[in-house]
Amino acid sequence: MIKISTPAALKAGPFTTNLLARKKYIIFYIFLFWISLFIVQFEFWVFYSFLFNRLLFFILSLPILIVVMYISIILISLFFARILLIFVNLIHKPREGVFLRDKDDKDFRFWSLRSTIKKWPVWLAHKFPFPFMDNICLKMFGVKTKFSNSLFEGWVDTEFIEFGQNVTAGQGSIIQSALIAGNLFIIRKTIIEDNVIIGAHSIVMPGSKIGQNCILTSSSTTIVNQELEDGWIYSGVPAKKFKKNRFFEDHLEPFLNNPEEFEFFMNE
Amino acid sequence: MINREQKKGRTLNSKLLELLEEGKKSEFEVDFVTTSTINKIDLRFLILYIPIIWISFFIVVAFWYNYLIFIQRIVIKILLIPVAILINFFIIAFGVALFGKLFLIILNLMHEPKQGVFKIEKGNKDYEFWRFRIQLKKLVLWVMNNNPLPWIDTWGFKWFGVQVDLSSHMFDSWVDTEFIEIGRKVTVGQGAVVMSSMVLGKYLIIKKIRFDDYTVIGGVSNIAPGTEVGKETIIGAFSTTYYNQKLDHGWVYFGNPVSKLKQNKYAEERNGFIHKKDVDENRKYKEIKEINIDEEGLDNEENNKVR
Repeated sequence: MIKISTPAALKAGPFTTNLLARKKYIIFYIFLFWISLFIVQFEFWVFYSFLFNRLLFFILSLPILIVVMYISIILISLFFARILLIFVNLIHKPREGVFLRDKDDKDFRFWSLRSTIKKWPVWLAHKFPFPFMDNICLKMFGVKTKFSNSLFEGWVDTEFIEFGQNVTAGQGSIIQSALIAGNLFIIRKTIIEDNVIIGAHSIVMPGSKIGQNCILTSSSTTIVNQELEDGWIYSGVPAKKFKKNRFFEDHLEPFLNNPEEFEFFMNE
Repeated sequence: MINREQKKGRTLNSKLLELLEEGKKSEFEVDFVTTSTINKIDLRFLILYIPIIWISFFIVVAFWYNYLIFIQRIVIKILLIPVAILINFFIIAFGVALFGKLFLIILNLMHEPKQGVFKIEKGNKDYEFWRFRIQLKKLVLWVMNNNPLPWIDTWGFKWFGVQVDLSSHMFDSWVDTEFIEIGRKVTVGQGAVVMSSMVLGKYLIIKKIRFDDYTVIGGVSNIAPGTEVGKETIIGAFSTTYYNQKLDHGWVYFGNPVSKLKQNKYAEERNGFIHKKDVDENRKYKEIKEINIDEEGLDNEENNKVR
C-alpha cells in the first residue's frame, strides 16, 4: 500500500514505455519466458524426486520451495536478459541524443529491443511483494542504485539513470530517461543525488539533475535538462524554487507537531 | 492558549526557538505534500515474510489433501477443480490475513503505534516499527489486491483495525492502513494517494485522517496527513490537501492546495431522500422512549396503589 497497497488499476511495474518497433522482437520476450520457466521446472523435479518418499518433509518444505521458485524465475530471467543485452549492446551501443521516432532509425529500434528484453524480469520483480527485488533488477541492468533506495511504488526507467543513497520515489511517480515527443525520440541521462524525496504523482523528465537533500513536491514535474539546486524544495509545473529545505535540521519535532501553539509563543 | 506552566516547559526547546528566529517562521511550515513510501529498505523484512507465507500455505495443503481424498469419483473431482482453485485463492488470502494480524499484534505489543512527529534515524523506535508495520500489511494487501473481488480489499482494511464501512470503495488507490477513519459510502478515485504518514527530510509525520459519510475523493489526488473531510464533500481530481487541513461539509473543493469551488448541489438533492436505515433507527429510538415513559408512569401508579 500501498505505500501500502498497490492499486489494481496501476499494477504495471517500473519499466519504460514500450513501443514495438518491429513485431519480431517478441521472440526475445518469449525466449526469456520459456527458458526461465523451463529451468525452474527442472528445479521442482529435483526436489520432487529427492523428497517424495518422505511425505512430511515434502509438505513442510513446499511453501518455501514456491517462494524460492519465484525468486529463481526472476534471477534466471535476469541472467539471460543480461546476456542478451550484452550481445545487443555489442551490435549497437546505447547512447544519448535526439533521434527520429521511426523504424529506420537505428537508435530507436535498438531502444525498443532493449526495453522488450527487460520487460519480463522487471514485471516479475515488481509483482513480488518484497520491495528488494526491484533494486536488484535495476542494478543488473546497469542503473546506479543503492539498496537503501525505495523505488518500487513508481515507474522507473531501466537505463541512463544514476541514483544516490536514500532516494524515495513516491506513489505513482515517474522517473524517465527516454521521452517520445511527436516525431522525435529523446534519450538523456537523469541524475538523482543523495536523500532526495520525489513526491507522489510527480514526474522527472529525461536529462534533469536533482541535487542533494532536494524535495520535489507531489504532482509537480521537471522539464527536460532542468537542474535542481542542492537543498531546496521545488514544486509546480514546471518545478520552481518553493523554499529552502530546512527539514534536515534538528529539534523541529514540537513545532511540526503543533504549529498553532508556537504562533502564540513567537508573538511574545 | 498556553498557560504559564506550559510555557515554562517550552523554554527547554531553546534551540528550536533560535532556529525559528533565525529563519522566518514560514520557512518551517509544512505547506506542501511529499510521499509516504517506506524510507529505507531493509533485508530484515524477509524475516517477517517467510514465516507468514510458510504457515498460511499449510492451510492450502490441508485443503488439497482433503479434496483429493474425500471426493472419490474422478468425474466429480475434475468438474470441481475450477471451484477448488477459486477457493484456494480465498484460503491463501484468509491465511495470510490471519497470521499477518497475529504478527501485527505482536509488533504492537512490542511498541504501540502513535501519532506525532518522529525523527528518521536508526535508534528511533517509532520510525522502525512504522516501517515494519507497513511492510507487514503490504504483503496481506498485495494478496487481496490481486483478487478478482474488490470487496475483499475493504475487508482487509477492516481486519487491520481501520474504521471502514463495507460500502466504501478504495480498491484503485494507495491508502495507508493505520490512523484512518472512513465513513459510509466513501469513494476514493483511481490512483489517489491517501497518506496518514509523510516522509519529510529528517522527519516522519503521522496524523489521523478522517473522511465523513458520502465523501468523494477524485482520481490522482493527494491527501496529506491530518486532513479532515466533512460530510458530502467532493475533492476534485488532481488536487492536493495540505497538512492538518479541515474541509467543511457540503462543498466541492479543487486545486493545489484545495479551496472552495462551489456548493455541492448534488448533496442537497440527496438530502430530500432520506436514507432508509436512518428512518428505521429514528423510529426505534422514539418508540423506546415512549414506552419507557409509559412504563415509568405505570410503575409509579402501581407503587402508589400498593402504598
